[in-house]
Amino acid sequence: MIVQELQKIQERCGWLPPEELVGLSTRLAVPLHRLHEVASYYPLYRLKPPPKVDIKVCRDMACHMAGASRLRAECEAVAAEYPAGEVAVSGVSCLGRCDGAVAASVNDHHYLTRQTAEALRAVIASAHAGNAPHAHHHKAKPLGFKIDVYEGRPEYRALAKWLSNPDAAALLKELEASGLRGMGGAGFPTFRKWGAVRGAPGATKYVVCNADESEPGTFKDRELMISAPWLVVEGIILAGLVVGAGRGWIYIRHEYPEAIDAVRAEIARARSAGILGSNILGKGASFELDVFVSPGGYVQGEESALLEAMEDRRGEPRNKPPFPVFQGLFGKPTVINNVETLSWVPGIIIHGGAWYRDMGTRGATGMRLVSISGDVAKPGVYEVPFGQTMRELLETAGGMAGGKAFKAVALSGPSGGFYPARVPVGELPPPFVAKRVPAGQPYFEILDLQLDFGTCGEMAAMLGAACVVYDETRDMVDQARNAVEFYRNESCGKCVPCRVGGQKLVEMAGELAEGRSPPGRLELIRDLGETMGITSICGLGQVASNPVTSLLRYFPADVGAVRGGRPT
Amino acid sequence: MNLIHHDDFGPEGLEPSVAELLKVPPVTLKIDGIEISVPRTILATDPNTGRKFPRPTTIYDAAIEAKVAVPVLCHRDHMTPAAVCRMCTVEVGGRVLAAACHRAVEQGLDVKTHHTSAKVKKAVGILAELLLADTRAPRGAHLEGGNELHAVAKGLGIDPAQPPRFPLTVRDRGRDESSLVIAVDHAACILCDRCVRGCNEVRNNQVLGRAGKGHMARIAFDLDNPMGDSSCVSCGECMVSCPTGALSNRAVVEAKPWAAAKTSPVSPDDLLSHPLFDGISKAFLAWNINSVVRRTFEPGEIVCREGEYGSSAFIIEEGELEIFLQVELKHVAKAKGSFRNSLMGLVRTVVPGLSRRETPSEAPDARRNTIPIDAPVSLDMAKPTATLTPADLLFGEMTCMSSYPRSATVRAKTRVRLLEIQRNVLYTIQRSKKAKSMLDEVYRRRSIDSHLRGVSMFADAIPDPAKFRSFVEELRDKVRLVRLNPGDTVFRQGDPADNYYLVRVGFVKVSTRKAGGELAIAYIGPGGHFGEIALLSRMEELGSSVPPGIRTATVAALDHVDLVAISPEDFRHIMDCYPAIKEGVLREARRRVEQNARMNRGATDATLGEFLKQGLMDAQSLLVLDLAKCTRCDECVKACADAHQGVTRLVREGLRFENYLVASSCRSCLDPHCMVGCPVGSIRRRSSREIVIEDWCIGCGKCAENCPYGNINMHPFPTGKKAPDPDNPSRQLPVMQQKATMCDLCASLDGTPSCVYACPHDAAHRVSGGQLMALAEKRLAASP
Repeated sequence: MIVQELQKIQERCGWLPPEELVGLSTRLAVPLHRLHEVASYYPLYRLKPPPKVDIKVCRDMACHMAGASRLRAECEAVAAEYPAGEVAVSGVSCLGRCDGAVAASVNDHHYLTRQTAEALRAVIASAHAGNAPHAHHHKAKPLGFKIDVYEGRPEYRALAKWLSNPDAAALLKELEASGLRGMGGAGFPTFRKWGAVRGAPGATKYVVCNADESEPGTFKDRELMISAPWLVVEGIILAGLVVGAGRGWIYIRHEYPEAIDAVRAEIARARSAGILGSNILGKGASFELDVFVSPGGYVQGEESALLEAMEDRRGEPRNKPPFPVFQGLFGKPTVINNVETLSWVPGIIIHGGAWYRDMGTRGATGMRLVSISGDVAKPGVYEVPFGQTMRELLETAGGMAGGKAFKAVALSGPSGGFYPARVPVGELPPPFVAKRVPAGQPYFEILDLQLDFGTCGEMAAMLGAACVVYDETRDMVDQARNAVEFYRNESCGKCVPCRVGGQKLVEMAGELAEGRSPPGRLELIRDLGETMGITSICGLGQVASNPVTSLLRYFPADVGAVRGGRPT
Repeated sequence: MNLIHHDDFGPEGLEPSVAELLKVPPVTLKIDGIEISVPRTILATDPNTGRKFPRPTTIYDAAIEAKVAVPVLCHRDHMTPAAVCRMCTVEVGGRVLAAACHRAVEQGLDVKTHHTSAKVKKAVGILAELLLADTRAPRGAHLEGGNELHAVAKGLGIDPAQPPRFPLTVRDRGRDESSLVIAVDHAACILCDRCVRGCNEVRNNQVLGRAGKGHMARIAFDLDNPMGDSSCVSCGECMVSCPTGALSNRAVVEAKPWAAAKTSPVSPDDLLSHPLFDGISKAFLAWNINSVVRRTFEPGEIVCREGEYGSSAFIIEEGELEIFLQVELKHVAKAKGSFRNSLMGLVRTVVPGLSRRETPSEAPDARRNTIPIDAPVSLDMAKPTATLTPADLLFGEMTCMSSYPRSATVRAKTRVRLLEIQRNVLYTIQRSKKAKSMLDEVYRRRSIDSHLRGVSMFADAIPDPAKFRSFVEELRDKVRLVRLNPGDTVFRQGDPADNYYLVRVGFVKVSTRKAGGELAIAYIGPGGHFGEIALLSRMEELGSSVPPGIRTATVAALDHVDLVAISPEDFRHIMDCYPAIKEGVLREARRRVEQNARMNRGATDATLGEFLKQGLMDAQSLLVLDLAKCTRCDECVKACADAHQGVTRLVREGLRFENYLVASSCRSCLDPHCMVGCPVGSIRRRSSREIVIEDWCIGCGKCAENCPYGNINMHPFPTGKKAPDPDNPSRQLPVMQQKATMCDLCASLDGTPSCVYACPHDAAHRVSGGQLMALAEKRLAASP
């Protein structure tokens, strides 16, 4: 109850006054340090009274490329025109509105896209006068995607079909045939996860949908939840019935108020239509579903950190094993799936596993949603087959913006690091080179990369849902520095490699950008990267060095340019 | 997956018993090529509920067994693994490394530590360098605790004195000197979480937490209050838990338990050279510098006398001692004996040894030829004297931990050098795995013979000394040694039977479920044994009076208890090989079954149950008000306040037992719960049964919390020091120090409790638990 109770106090008071926390401590019989641990950890909570106008400018990836740091400096100058302390301007981690860079928030509740200094000057003036800003919130629109099998109508036919013959084993077989894998980035086969929870001992199990889409450059689940929330609701119910869970939650980041509203409305509608509750569609099955609003933080997308938040603690990832399929929420076996993964399930039940499997191309399996941003003509969410090449994806997004040349791409937000247009074969695994690179060619053309789990796995690359494209004018040292700052800012601080290593990477990337790296620095960065990769507790620390190690590996010219050609 | 689910350990809500844990088969793994077998689970305590639960044995636990040194900063044996420093990372196959302190052992695991894996060595070296570049050594003279970070770095070949390879950017994270007792230097903090777990898990004080996030995270008190303004009780646990000296002692109060004795304290470095202290926090030893003294005795000098109360144990450094009973068949524990006698008809007391000798005819199994004492040897009944040498390590544990009177007299045979240690130091030694394994080894090598000889069933059945020796040899390495804390359950009534147990140290309570509650049927002490009935119940000889293979009673530890467990296979083997033992065990089991049945029928448990529930059996000195005479004039309370600087230590309220009101004043319990956990050992017995709070009390309130009867109160007393008023720095305010107060039976005055003296109606009396029971029984018998 701590997380929700703190949210209630903040809604009532605008912040968390100490006397309210003392009262809450007595009421919940929870020690003060426990409340402060939670309250001081999550970015949503304020331990000081808020300023009259609080502007937060997104600082990551696409927004950084669109000039977020300059915009922030200009806004700070505007804020200085007001009495001290009344207007605050600060940076914030990716708001999931990379298709509308630069994104910003006003007083925590209102989100703006495509901001300029002029536009924000007007927003600040209006908000300071006490007006609610005119927010640029996303609205439901027809997706026109295959994933929306009901074409914009909440029909729940898959649920009805399965309940007419509730054979869990058959459904797991169908999922296996479909080849559906986790769409949150890790790509774990869905049938296996469900099967593990179904087979785990114990009477109480849970389903949690991870809608904490916070990887910079990722915003596909936002569109799914706003425009077709019934798909994820139906997917969660089916997961619950198959694995034997009676309750489920959909954990949504608080920066997605449109998605929270849409999913809450759909849950209420489903409940009144007998699709949720104690007698689903009159068949006697029961399942309860609620929204859990995240108190904030990128690391909450890590599944065990998400569970810690739901259990009222600091959202720090757990040491694994045990894995959540065996000991998840409150120690019970728990299915944790991404929004999109669950949203494909209704289509697979209605049309069969082969329907999904055969949508892939060049021998790959299935379809996916991808968010593309950066220097492309039409940033946005696209539904594309697995196996499509990077070149085809770029064309789908309208090609390079302004007719500039392609320089680099991040295939999985900042997590997977940056790839140049031509990857030297010496940096690639030999089996991949033998299979994918024409004999004698000293490089691999990254635009020829087939985007599917198999091919990317062979290249030892990560395949996420965030594709960020960089044109020839971009300085990759600056991009890498921006990315390691993101990880430093979002580290939970639990383990040493990530907490201290993340900060040292920022300091060393700063030296690099300013051309003042001492001798031996690059080797030390590589060693630190390796150590963080193998000793950090969770994925965040394990990948946090990728932006800067990929910079050293693939962009020596950029590194040399800022370093003025000095030896390392 | 090798996960232990709660479901594996019986119904939820019940703590697993020791027996259940011993049942799980061991696993075998390799660490740096060394093969080792370890049990799959060990007992841990839930930080939130205090419940005991099984936690998987970790690779780190196994590495200790295999004697492979793995560097750790965030881990301590007595804490729940946090696995945040990652210094103990090891290779187990797989993409990433595993934290040895957290990863559970698995059958066939091939573990490589930094000793054998270059990858691991490089990674942990980088981690140490990161921490060195992120922190600075604490300011001021606070290095007496040593710096574990520097020690670990040196162990990895990194010189902490050299400038780090990483950019050295230690932000000034501030210093908190608001507490009178402990200084906090955030810049030296590595966020290992040990202080947080020390505060919340070990002490359950619930003050310390982590605040903020990421690289800005730090420790904080309550709502990030200055330490001195927080609800911190200055127990010192955070400080002794700190590996870097970020939390350090400001030394405003000093414990001086031996103010009167002509002794000098022993330096922490000196102590750390003794193997029993290996691995113990130097900060702890520095903080408790006055809790250990070195004493030398000339030949013939007495170290301690039987019957004395005390709060210390002795480590033998040099020389030989004679341990003996001064007066043959003298009863040393009068208070205890009188109580046990008065209840003899109701509660069968199986306290062998000293108190047993007073009632030799009570139970036939108590006929014995050795006497268990509070030392690694037992004494021969005919000639009760034995020799102690440095190989015995330690004696006086029971007196020190559980406040029993000294069980024997110890005299120097040669010139002897001893370390006398207080309870808080002994408690910390016992918490150390290395020390425990040393003490266990001493038992196996030195004490098991005399212990088994003390069990008459064994000794009488094998009169031939050579045969008996081979019997002992057979068991020597097979027995398992189990340590329990007060309240831990050995097994529950209805559980399937497993081991047979011998009691080495402490007392266990045997009880059965009855309608309306629990009936204590026996207390079993050192030299006693239990667990045979269920193991024998499949044998025809025992008849059909008990359900086969099922425990007929619940056994739980009353104080700090050490048990010797003999597996069912070994027990059966003994039964098969030694018919005489089998005969004796069967006879004893039959007698116990009959007696249990008789007691279940006949117990007047309404009164007895209440008596036991209120803990009155433990009391040596109760203030009882005879409600038939008391006029509620409050003279007793006033007299108490007059006698103690205006602060009363007596509240005329409390539990009622029959027609007596047991007032809230100190009962001088036989097993004073209040003494457990005093960080400075200021609550203790001097040389009599009275419990006193010495004036080096630091006001932590632990004793007040521990007293089950609410008889200890906290009061502010002026320290004589002054500090500037925070609101008006030009003004000086007196510094107040919280101190605990409790009834000292007016020991500081003339020894007659003022309350009893002041009662004008002869309604206030000081009686023992046994006397109260007798009074109540008399009154009950007289009433129609």
